[in-house]
Amino acid sequence: MTLGPRLRGVVPVVLAIAVLALAQLLFGHLPFFVYLASIVGVNVVLAVSLNIVNGMTGQFSIGHAGFMAVGAYTAGKMSLLIKDVAISGLPTAVSDQVQLVGTLLAGGVAAAICGFVVGLPSLRLRGDYLAIVTLGFGEIIRVVVQNLDVFGRALGLSGIPQTSSLFAVWFCVFLVILVARRIVGSTHGRSLWAIREDEVAAEAMGVDTTGYKVRAFVISSFFAGVAGGLFAHFVPIINPGSFTFVKSIEVVVMVVAGGLGSTTGAIVAAVFLTLLPEALRSLFLQLGGLDTGASLAQKVDQIRMPVYGILLVILMLVRPQGLFGTREIWDIVPRWWPRSRKGIT
Amino acid sequence: MSETLLQASGVGIEFGGLRALRGFDLEIRQGDLKGLIGPNGAGKTTAFNLLTGVYVPTQGEIRVCGERVNGRQPHQINHLGLARTFQNIRLFRALTALDNVRVACLSDERPLFSRARIDELRRRTGGRSSVASAMDALNNYVDWWRALLLTPGFQKEEAELTRRAEELLEVMGLSHRRDEEARNLPYGEQRRLEIARALGTRPRVLLLDEPAAGMNTREKADLMVLIRRLRDQFSLGLLVIEHDMKLVMGICEDITVLDHGVTIARGAPERVRQDPKVIEAYLGDSYLASHGMAVPTRTPTSETPSA
Repeated sequence: MTLGPRLRGVVPVVLAIAVLALAQLLFGHLPFFVYLASIVGVNVVLAVSLNIVNGMTGQFSIGHAGFMAVGAYTAGKMSLLIKDVAISGLPTAVSDQVQLVGTLLAGGVAAAICGFVVGLPSLRLRGDYLAIVTLGFGEIIRVVVQNLDVFGRALGLSGIPQTSSLFAVWFCVFLVILVARRIVGSTHGRSLWAIREDEVAAEAMGVDTTGYKVRAFVISSFFAGVAGGLFAHFVPIINPGSFTFVKSIEVVVMVVAGGLGSTTGAIVAAVFLTLLPEALRSLFLQLGGLDTGASLAQKVDQIRMPVYGILLVILMLVRPQGLFGTREIWDIVPRWWPRSRKGIT
Repeated sequence: MSETLLQASGVGIEFGGLRALRGFDLEIRQGDLKGLIGPNGAGKTTAFNLLTGVYVPTQGEIRVCGERVNGRQPHQINHLGLARTFQNIRLFRALTALDNVRVACLSDERPLFSRARIDELRRRTGGRSSVASAMDALNNYVDWWRALLLTPGFQKEEAELTRRAEELLEVMGLSHRRDEEARNLPYGEQRRLEIARALGTRPRVLLLDEPAAGMNTREKADLMVLIRRLRDQFSLGLLVIEHDMKLVMGICEDITVLDHGVTIARGAPERVRQDPKVIEAYLGDSYLASHGMAVPTRTPTSETPSA
């Protein structure tokens, strides 16, 4: 495909808007589908953004739910505060969407600031310090919101306007993928890979390793915050229980299962692992499960973690490098499609 | 005479109680081709690590292109014009040969403030300037946005970097390996790729840590020619650590010999080769015998004829 340099930057965005608008028109009125697609979308944003740190840069962060919580509570609280206000001169629906964009950005920026504060001291060091610090950060955030009246303590925030849509969620998915791909294809992405491969050599070749690690971490945190903001606008209630350590691990599992460093791998794993419990649920119904409703949902939820564990063990035995390793899906699948492998970029 | 590009004066470092290196002096000008030899554990690689900023010296002073670099980070020292290779090859193994070089090829163009302007500011304030750091941060910020928005200017820069990297691969005779992962290259080519990568940073001084290790005789002979050619083509100053005496004696104009962290001899190859201290510490009698030289009768207190 040959596009002029000007067009190459813009065309994907225009295409994505067109496709997503069409999807919104076709499927936007199916509540369960939209809900499921939104959950999947949020998880894809989380996995792809975490992959920038854990996959491309080779650092190990296990506090992504913490950053998601920061974004969710910031955006949710803001929406609650401004929900009775409409921007004058705009129809209500448009005004709602403008407010949604504003709160999402606020959530993302809040999470990015947290990322900077957490990342700057811990990314100066080599090794597993980031894992320890992010683990602590996630717990701190959870405990803090659990004990603050403004954030509704353990009950969480409810009544946040449900202004999210299929289009909004999947446009964010598109954005994070675009960002990830463009980082990989640029001199910045190569520097991140270099850090992952050999930090000492990268530093000796003029790569500001600390700076790059912090920047990757901030970008990753930003998108975790956006994902949290989206989440807050389509689930009826957000409470600290949604942002536990288990959630962080879920995202790590998606990234590892997809192959550390592979954006498409993270997407595939996120979609698959999110839909798995739903598939299990319908399987139970098909088998004529005894009772429906809450007890079944609990069973499915209980069985999910063992299934995760078993799946991971199997995957690590069969493919220790993850689904796609460091490659992308198109490097592996279409052997009949004549193209030369261009390495990582 | 050309300006001094790299200067170490009285450099030393202690790890706990161990004095790994002391009183190390070195001066490299453009066009120099100097050697650093010594038995295993003599402190050669420690010296390299000190010069490139991996370790911070506990004594002495290091200057790169006139600037004091004690305590600066390795990437900052690299930006001043000092590049190196590693004794045990440290390529970015999963990256292609081209990408290995492209990592090192940093663009000279900065979006907001020119590199020269920031460097000038740093120089005036003695290395620590918050204004310069802020300018650097802003530059980086804009640069990331340019990458994310894929602006035409950014694409042009990328194409330019790729062209430069391809040129370097060509110079090192690695064009045919362009899209191969570094870990899949044969040993000798990995060594050459490391040199290509170091050249990508546009160094003025290049430090080679055992470039011939693991090479066969033929590859070594080629390497000798290559090193000389690089010096002239890129107007470099070179410092080489090497165990292969034939190679060192063949290309280096000036050799420093280390033993137990102390400089025991320095000078032209012929002089160093006949220095009794060097023979005792490093070359050994068998070396002399095999090169048809008389094994000297050593007196226990031979004077130091070091330069």
